[in-house]
Amino acid sequence: MIDTFQERYENRHEYAKQWKDKTGGKVLGYFCTYVPEEICIAAGVLPVRILGSHEPQDVTEPHIFAMYCPFCRDCLAQGLEGKYDYLDGISIAQSCLHIRQAYTSWELHVPTDWSYYLPMPHHVQSPRAVPYLLAEYEKFKKALEDWTGNKITDDDLKRGIETVNKDRQLMKQVYELRKREDPPLSGLESMYMVVSSQLIDKGEHARIVEDSLKELEDRTLGRPVGQRLIILGSENDDHEFIKMVESCGSTFVIDDHCTGTRYFWDQVSLNGEDPLTAIAKRYVNRVPCPTKDWPVRTRVPHIVSLAKDWDASGAVILQQKFCDPHELDIPAIKSALEEEGLATLFLELDVTVPIGQFKTRVEAFLEILDEEDLF
Amino acid sequence: MAEDTNSKEYWRWTESNWRDPDIDWKAGEIISVGIDVGSVSSQAVILVDGKLYAYSNMRTGSDSPKSAENAMDWALEGTGMTQDDIHYVVGTGYGRVNVPFAKRAITEIACHARGANFMYGPTIKTVLDMGGQDCKAIRVDQKGKVVAFLMNDKCAAGTGRGMEVFANLLGIHITEVGEMSLRVEEEPPMVSSTCVVFAKSEASGLLREGWPKEKVLAAYCLAMAHRVVDLLERLGVEEDFAITGGIGKNVGVVSRIEKELGIKALKPTLDTQIAGALGGALFARALEQKGRKSK
Repeated sequence: MIDTFQERYENRHEYAKQWKDKTGGKVLGYFCTYVPEEICIAAGVLPVRILGSHEPQDVTEPHIFAMYCPFCRDCLAQGLEGKYDYLDGISIAQSCLHIRQAYTSWELHVPTDWSYYLPMPHHVQSPRAVPYLLAEYEKFKKALEDWTGNKITDDDLKRGIETVNKDRQLMKQVYELRKREDPPLSGLESMYMVVSSQLIDKGEHARIVEDSLKELEDRTLGRPVGQRLIILGSENDDHEFIKMVESCGSTFVIDDHCTGTRYFWDQVSLNGEDPLTAIAKRYVNRVPCPTKDWPVRTRVPHIVSLAKDWDASGAVILQQKFCDPHELDIPAIKSALEEEGLATLFLELDVTVPIGQFKTRVEAFLEILDEEDLF
Repeated sequence: MAEDTNSKEYWRWTESNWRDPDIDWKAGEIISVGIDVGSVSSQAVILVDGKLYAYSNMRTGSDSPKSAENAMDWALEGTGMTQDDIHYVVGTGYGRVNVPFAKRAITEIACHARGANFMYGPTIKTVLDMGGQDCKAIRVDQKGKVVAFLMNDKCAAGTGRGMEVFANLLGIHITEVGEMSLRVEEEPPMVSSTCVVFAKSEASGLLREGWPKEKVLAAYCLAMAHRVVDLLERLGVEEDFAITGGIGKNVGVVSRIEKELGIKALKPTLDTQIAGALGGALFARALEQKGRKSK
């Protein structure tokens, strides 16, 4: 059952094409996790997150600055290479300059019927963020209605909220199990679980998670857990890297990634409120991406408590090369974790990672954590 | 012209082996070995009851297992010892998983830290390993255990390989480039690029402009020193400080690192290139002792 998530992740394009054939619905490719999937689902659209392939490419040079991050380049390459030719539309909610460049380039150079730029506010700590976003959501909803020809009612929105909330709540249950001394799933399996949720029908995903929870009840890794680690930083679905770290005598037990907890951690709470307002509040108050985490760095205490609650002894801090928002936060995160007694390892990601060199660093890092007496 | 300098192999440093004739290894209880297969050089160190008995230091070939065997054989040469007499072998370095007779692989970061602790004593707190193709800044505790480290990225700048390229370009033997770089009246501006490929073409330009070789070398040594000082300062340098690896023998780079840091490096008592293999041999001894105790 657990393997299903990896299968969905690996066959994301076939899945989306089949979904279209089966339902006759529209597929919307989105960049970053600030696009409100609840509203898309209410419109009967399948939202799929656009991700890279971690393969070298040579098609983005004319379109993206050399000092923009490898992830935005990798995403755009997928579009330029025609791998997402089945998409009916694309969308982005403002997150960072680099990924927006991938979006605008895509809009210019990859033929797509529909595109929508949603101005998600950066200053989410402002009291005006929610009313601002609500007004933007009204426009986004209207645009979706015009595009699909489906009127989106409050009931549709509530259904969208319930669908996404249910999946979020189930994912949290899975993450609870990772607190165990012998966690029932690896960091790699968990990454497949979260990322596949960004790629397939949410209801279906929730059903598979529900079934998996039964399987996980008395499952173990079947290998020593080794050092318990937290992994955090910018976008990371680099399975080769995660697999390598976990093969060196460690297990990722928790994360702060947009391909992990940041994506599903916070629910929309309706509380009798109008659904669009409730959704706007969720996206304004969610665990933020560092582009939006200012002037107060709310992520720092959040990460520290994740590390403590999941009993991690070390932290692997990753960043996409040239990702300034993350890089600026890293010194604060690093010292906060070190104050709590965690060792940290910082690594910079490119489209492909130098597994051999990273392995030396990872092993040396684990040797620091190991209590085993070499002395 | 390039072919000419290549045929003279100015980069080729002296391979060596050494043995302490006063030690009778047959009287030893634990014979432990560390083999460091690096990207440029390979070493084997043999300890008899924790005392340095013999070592070899040679160039790594294209085949890691073969390089490990060559280093081992050369260290054993003239000792009368065979591989069967050795109790525990630890492999380290970039080719650590390919050391055929190693019972365990440990990273060169841990091994250099441990080796430096043996070479310089327990007061050593910061180790800079300047290897063939990367360099590492390591902070260690008084036992020689790594506390924190930083490694440079996917790049030959600030490494032995970079210096070899310069030795060849200028036609000056690798063992002399350091000394020669100090024969300038005042320090020139450093080579602006730390990338070896770019730095090489920059240096060619300087030579055409009529710069003497000493000045070009000084400019390159300065750039190399500056780059590794960056790495050290990110980690934080605490005294005592020492430099291991091949560049540890290059006075042109070492003195410039010292100057920029404002800290003197401890004078090496042993060949700085063997630090990794030495650390490996010390770990091998500890592992063998532990194994015997648990029996």
